[in-house]
Amino acid sequence: MDTLVLRVAVVVLALSLPAWMLLSLLVVLGRARYEHRRREPDARRLGTREAERLVRRVSRSPRTEWGKWRRVGALARLEQAHHPAVPRLIRLVLADPDPRIATAAIRTLGDIGDEWAIDVLISALHKGIGPRSRVAAELERLAPAPGEKLVSLLRDWNPAVRFWGATLLGPYPDLGESTLIALTWDSDPNVRAAAVETLGSRSGAAVGAATLACLGDSEWFVRVHAARAAGHVLGAAAAPTIAQHLSEERWWVRMAAKDALRGLGTDAVPSLLAMLTHDDPFARNGAAEVLQDIGFVDFLALDNPESPLLERIYEAGGEKLREAALARAENVPEQGVVAA
Amino acid sequence: MTGDVLGPIVLVCLGYLLLTNLTYAALVLVAVVENAVRRHETASQDYEGLAVSRFTIPVSVIVAAYNEETGIVSAVDSLLGLEYPELEVIVVNDGSTDETLKRLREEFALEPYQVFVRHVFATAEVRSLYRSADHPNLVVVDKANGGKADALNAGLNIARYRYVCGVDADTVFERDALLKGMRRVVEDPARIVGLTSHLGIAEDPERSMAAPRGARPIDGRAFMAYQHLDYLRAFFNNRLAWSRLGFMLCSVGAFQIWRRDVLEEVGGYAEGFTCEDIELTFRVHERFLREGRDYEIHCLPDNVGTTEGPGTVRKLVSQRERWQRVIAETVWHYRRMCFNPRYKSVGLIGAPFYVLTEVIAPVFELLSIVLLALATALGVFDLVLFSVMVAAIAFMNAALTASAIYLEDLQSRTYRLRDLVRLLLLAPFDLVLYRPFIVWARLKGSWRFLRGVKAWHKFERNVRAPA
Repeated sequence: MDTLVLRVAVVVLALSLPAWMLLSLLVVLGRARYEHRRREPDARRLGTREAERLVRRVSRSPRTEWGKWRRVGALARLEQAHHPAVPRLIRLVLADPDPRIATAAIRTLGDIGDEWAIDVLISALHKGIGPRSRVAAELERLAPAPGEKLVSLLRDWNPAVRFWGATLLGPYPDLGESTLIALTWDSDPNVRAAAVETLGSRSGAAVGAATLACLGDSEWFVRVHAARAAGHVLGAAAAPTIAQHLSEERWWVRMAAKDALRGLGTDAVPSLLAMLTHDDPFARNGAAEVLQDIGFVDFLALDNPESPLLERIYEAGGEKLREAALARAENVPEQGVVAA
Repeated sequence: MTGDVLGPIVLVCLGYLLLTNLTYAALVLVAVVENAVRRHETASQDYEGLAVSRFTIPVSVIVAAYNEETGIVSAVDSLLGLEYPELEVIVVNDGSTDETLKRLREEFALEPYQVFVRHVFATAEVRSLYRSADHPNLVVVDKANGGKADALNAGLNIARYRYVCGVDADTVFERDALLKGMRRVVEDPARIVGLTSHLGIAEDPERSMAAPRGARPIDGRAFMAYQHLDYLRAFFNNRLAWSRLGFMLCSVGAFQIWRRDVLEEVGGYAEGFTCEDIELTFRVHERFLREGRDYEIHCLPDNVGTTEGPGTVRKLVSQRERWQRVIAETVWHYRRMCFNPRYKSVGLIGAPFYVLTEVIAPVFELLSIVLLALATALGVFDLVLFSVMVAAIAFMNAALTASAIYLEDLQSRTYRLRDLVRLLLLAPFDLVLYRPFIVWARLKGSWRFLRGVKAWHKFERNVRAPA
């Protein structure tokens, strides 16, 4: 038995000792090489032969995952060196069936930011190459901005493309308004939500009417975006309608209504006060919470602590709202008292 | 006669050690591939774009804090300083008896506010809620003590966003920690339901993180350096491979990103276990695999922060004893998953791997040490054989450790080279200088598991240098 155990132990030692030494050496040498490259960027400059090798590597379609990532790495190096073959090579990599590889090519396109890069990215959005959220993120950071080219996305047969078209138009207040309003009636609720969200950054009666109409949408997440959008577009005029949504069955719609009313500030006070006597306790405490957040409760607690209105707000908001308000009031220094 | 009895037992122990180390070596090979893929992914990632894009998914970060007065301010500071387009930080003070809440109130200008929250999960009483006058995205919940899981559930009730990131209050994060973590999620939010990433360890995380990447020191004390090695092995040799093979067994409590709807669906963090992280990971696997749903839980090799490690042997034993207990509790609770093909790689490889390398390990480790010494003392083995065996085990372990150091350095280039060399030299002595403490902690943990102990036994925080 001793011999067997000894043999096993010797074999294990004979394998593990050199492995430990080799790996230790790799750590030291690998780090030294990395430091050298970091100190001398010229060590990474692309020579002609190296560039040709990299072009060949990108042109091939490796099957292994390792090979695919080496291909992406080669493309990134060529792009950094502004190699003229990059546009052709990117189209090749975009055709890779692995979405992660296509995504890496999409990121490279974002770095390039040229007219042809915009066209390729929009085409990728149409065809569903790579995750559409990544394509959209790259389109948003491009210079020059894609602008007008995005409008065609709104009329695509695919709702996912219409969704991204509507979302990407956010920073372009002069583009596609009538189509966006039409999309608030789209058959796909995601498209309706995106359209109303984008309309929230615009103004005008037609836009306001569209956002208010979406507050009655059958899908709760459309109503979430509609509540925020209506607040932005219509301001105080939308407050009574938005305040009614404090009694929504969906928590997220109530939260969006609170956000929108908070955003309106003191303009929302009359609508909020009207909600303090609502039958629904959620609506009552939601109104009290917004009144607290916009500073109305603190104003009353300092200015007129015996006010019946303040008492009504405390009743609607509950004991903890009162305790919090009193604690805040205690921390406010008295006016006219100057520190010695 | 003694030789007839001892010999076969020693052989069984030796066989066990060989089997576990061969399993680890196989996992290292998988981890090498996973690390390479993630490294290429990181290199081609556009973090600057992600940091400003409105399409980056917002995250609610939840910090459960119980008696964390020494580190809470730095932890919250590092979270508020995260480079991320939209996040909220929810600190849950879980009935601390020290000055955790006071320090938070003073440092972040907290004011009491009433917020009406959803009561998705029942928790211990919430006393008050605070908002910061300086940081609009900071919310502090002050509640009665209910344990870490209860505190995280209270945070979940308040969380606004689709993804939540549970973190520990003793951890200091890199500025791009959330970007690194969420980069995988934004690629496929429908499938990626959970994610964790590599964390470093230090006696004083703030001091360690003060140095830039590439020049970051590793604690000078060998005791801390061995804990650092332990973390490296756990993340780079194990979790990376688990992630690749589809059975990530533990999304670590110090940095765990989850899709909130999944947490709500599985019932949130469970309070019936010693710790919450391993059990939750198992529960998500169990639910999704039982229902045949497509999902992924990942571990990334990127260094996202540094957590505080126990500074003394007593604290270390207390921590590792708890870890051993929770592994045993979880494996026992989900024992029906073991070798069950319905649970795919989690049931066929993951759960049995935990049984082999964690649950029964303390017994074999103790037997190996005692019997090897006994057999040599009684003359069953001669001293040369004993020495060769010890050297073989030590260097097998050292080779595995060196591979973890290599993978970490390839990925992050975080630590000083001279500290890495020191770690490489310390690696072969792990067996005699550090492993005995871990064996003792694991034995203690196993014993307490058998006795049904569920107490947390949180280790007392280290004394840190003043800011």
